[in-house]
Amino acid sequence: MENYPFSENSINSSIAFRSLVNATSYPGTTFQINKLNKPSVLSNAAATILITLCDNESNVYLSKEYNIEEVRNWLIFNTGAIISNKKNADFVIGTWKSLLPLNEFKIGVPEYPERSATLIIEETKYKKVKCNIDGPGIKNKLNIDLPNPEFFIENNNLYPLGLDFYFTNDLEILSIPRSTKINIIKSEH
Amino acid sequence: MNEMSKNENLDIQIYNFAYLDENTKRMIRRALLKALCIPGYQVPFSSREMPMPYGWGTGGIQVTSACLIPKDILKVIDQGADDTTNAVSIRKFFQKTANVAVTEKTSDASLIQTRHRIPETKLKEKQILVYQVPIPEPLRFLEPRETETRKMHALSEYGLMYVKLYEDIAKHGHIETAYAYPVKTNGNYVTDPSPIPKFDNPKMNNSPAIQLFGAGREQRIYAIPPYTNVKSLDFEDYPFEAMKANFKCSICGSSDSYLDEIIVSDDGKRSYICSDTDYCKEQTKLNSKKED
Ligand SMILES: [Zn+2]
Repeated sequence: MENYPFSENSINSSIAFRSLVNATSYPGTTFQINKLNKPSVLSNAAATILITLCDNESNVYLSKEYNIEEVRNWLIFNTGAIISNKKNADFVIGTWKSLLPLNEFKIGVPEYPERSATLIIEETKYKKVKCNIDGPGIKNKLNIDLPNPEFFIENNNLYPLGLDFYFTNDLEILSIPRSTKINIIKSEH
Repeated sequence: MNEMSKNENLDIQIYNFAYLDENTKRMIRRALLKALCIPGYQVPFSSREMPMPYGWGTGGIQVTSACLIPKDILKVIDQGADDTTNAVSIRKFFQKTANVAVTEKTSDASLIQTRHRIPETKLKEKQILVYQVPIPEPLRFLEPRETETRKMHALSEYGLMYVKLYEDIAKHGHIETAYAYPVKTNGNYVTDPSPIPKFDNPKMNNSPAIQLFGAGREQRIYAIPPYTNVKSLDFEDYPFEAMKANFKCSICGSSDSYLDEIIVSDDGKRSYICSDTDYCKEQTKLNSKKED
């Protein structure tokens, strides 16, 4: 029992999912998730996304820091997910640096734009650039820090195709879906 | 962990919270999040058998089931009313399977499942509105083939849709479509708002709430995130108008809510009342306070 990610699966997963609904609905705003049993290298937020959404039809790409036995075993045992390469991945997890470049991940096709990768970006140790974001789910334009905003601008230009991002840090989650428009305020050097 | 709480956990493990099993919920949840990332786009999903027939909102029920949390306060409406057979049975279903609190008050509800109306009371941030959808494809009556409508959406080929609306104007002097009046979501996809009266269309635009749509028989899920541009299709010379009957509610006196026509006597005398029963009650309360 204690090894399961959630103590009361059906209820904890519903609460976890609601946080994901809120985070995805209101991009650029930080939402809190609860703790769960997970490998120490994963943040609670990243582990929550994987546990709540993955099943035996999900291809997951783990960047080198996360592609370790403990994570693989935990993920496969609890979700049945398939560890995959970049090209086929539905879910991607890694630090920003380790996932670049992003051009191998699938962006969907015009008839099925949802067949695209969801990227979970762990840690906040990237070079931050002040940006102003706008788009669905954003009431008034928001200022946030993003790594390499040019990638997000390029991603938004692909809309309605594109990648959907979650930034995860311990118990916090923030989304930047493909629909979010990004303006660079200033670059820090 | 003591023996008692272990057993409680076991009960919950066996009993699926809000009816659907975890695997089904995962599949629906993935579809819902992608739907939120691509506003107005119809994401296919594998609809499950529900303990009620199609036409009873099985799409909406599956979306609600995937979204509900124990502390939700659920409201269910059918044509604006909380007390119709359909609304009552869906509400009871989730009371039984998810043990959630229920309400008739729009402002108290955290999740509202609806058929054919958007509440008159302004929705708030993080409130979820789940629409029951019979036909999710707004282009279906122009093009029966799914492969073709997909292409049309992919290429934003909406010319035929405008032609159809303009034919209405040529024939009737105005656009006849009064329900399920198509909208464009986030400047991109033409979307079916479900069979709400077009009076409700402007409420979808830039709403603080999260709007989710479930079509059970047609196996589609789509979404309109909060603060998203939703524009009813129209023409420069024929702008969209959110019309309603030009009467007052005979119960609360409201002239700005959507009205249902009712026949009040054997000789066919007509009267008008709010279709949104909660709104009508609230207005009646406000009126009696004013009189005090
Ligand atoms: Zn009234």
